[in-house]
Amino acid sequence: MKARLVILWLLVGVPLLWGVVETLINSMKLFQ
Amino acid sequence: MTLSFLDRERTIAPAGYNRFLVPPAALAVHLSIGQAYAFSTFNLPLTRLLGNGESAPGDWTLAQVGWVFSIAIVFLGLSAALFGRWMERVGPRKAMFAAALCFGGGFLVAAVGIHFHQLWLLYLGYGVLGGCGLGIGYISPVSTLIKWFPDRPGMATGMAIMGFGGGALIAAPLSLVLMDHFKSATSPGVLQTFVVMGVIYCVFMMIGAYVVRVPASDWKPANWVPPAHPHKLVTTANVHVDVAWRTPQFWLLWGVLCMNVTAGIGVLSQASPMIQEIFGGRVTAAAAAGFVGLLSLFNMAGRFVWASTSDYIGRRNTYMVFFLLGIALYWLAPILGRLGSVSLYVAAFAIIISMYGGGFSTIPAYLRDVFGTMHVGAIHGRVLTAWSVAGVLGPVLVNYIREYQIESGIPKAQAYTTTLHIMCGLLFLGFLCNLVMREVNPRYYYREPPRSDAHT
Repeated sequence: MKARLVILWLLVGVPLLWGVVETLINSMKLFQ
Repeated sequence: MTLSFLDRERTIAPAGYNRFLVPPAALAVHLSIGQAYAFSTFNLPLTRLLGNGESAPGDWTLAQVGWVFSIAIVFLGLSAALFGRWMERVGPRKAMFAAALCFGGGFLVAAVGIHFHQLWLLYLGYGVLGGCGLGIGYISPVSTLIKWFPDRPGMATGMAIMGFGGGALIAAPLSLVLMDHFKSATSPGVLQTFVVMGVIYCVFMMIGAYVVRVPASDWKPANWVPPAHPHKLVTTANVHVDVAWRTPQFWLLWGVLCMNVTAGIGVLSQASPMIQEIFGGRVTAAAAAGFVGLLSLFNMAGRFVWASTSDYIGRRNTYMVFFLLGIALYWLAPILGRLGSVSLYVAAFAIIISMYGGGFSTIPAYLRDVFGTMHVGAIHGRVLTAWSVAGVLGPVLVNYIREYQIESGIPKAQAYTTTLHIMCGLLFLGFLCNLVMREVNPRYYYREPPRSDAHT
């Protein structure tokens, strides 16, 4: 059950983290 | 082929099931359908299909393509309202399955429209079919999460609805990467991107449908005891969806959501030109795009933070903060613009947009407090028609008032002042709706029919 929990959270967490990082990089243009 | 594994009875969780498996299932759906917020990345490429990167005679116009998103949002509200009761009856798995087929299928039908350059197929595919996927997908995990987290309903629904905000953060760069990958001398790559995204989202949503479980009817969290004296405005009774919409409380909450969303969506739709015009010359188009990105982050974060906060301070107090702080910040924004303070202006709008997102994520828990858990998903679906109205009202208000101001000879930098003051007025209306909220009259409460074979 624990392995399933980790895999599921990674499955949704990794793409979300990628999107957040990409957006943060884009947002930095505001302060340049 | 039997589809009985989709039935509600097959999704009842066994003893010892970890309830924290449900939020990622909900997120898989919401992260997918949140793509809708990033549809604008396709706007320009869709107007340059015949010219292969350049606009050619016969190509669709930006105004024509702009309707795709509007149709999708209208069908989101309609399908959430129409299919809410069905979703409550068949359970979250079948609803998520249907949403995945509609949303993924919508992309594929739209791809056929792109292939044959038929605008009506684009409207039908992404707008109508995809919009139905958005509506059904949006409401499908909400009541399940509320039942799994009776101790923290705001946090649970906030987590899922945060996914809708986060979906745009994934879809925007993903669309650009895919279009760049498929671009060739003969194609701008939009068609292939639609096909790939349709398949990816359909599969991702199916994973959510496969994982989701509903708790057994007698389940409650370990060591959790329902409060003996619930907070004011929190009921332990239930109201049937067909009765709920006849109560004043339903329309007050509809007004609360509509006013909060109208104010936020109007600003979101014009965020880039607004900051460039208010700080004429000091904020470039690239920096304005950064501003839009920053607002998306606060939109997403606000959904989780505010909804979780509402578990501690109460739903009504949370909306009081949205409206009062919102009025203050909207009033302050033109002054910050005149003072030339970009950083304070950005900070003000970041907070405003976090409250816009918070409004979406706190409403399911508010509905649960007022109407009970029995039909909260279906009631939520009907309240979401407020979003459809706000989706048209907000941008129209901002655009038309701005144009009227400019035509009246007011400098561009000051053309938003009246608009922002009107937003204060809308938020005040929302404040009044929230202020007069009271418990539902007990005569509206659902009572079990005397016959044992009767059902809800």
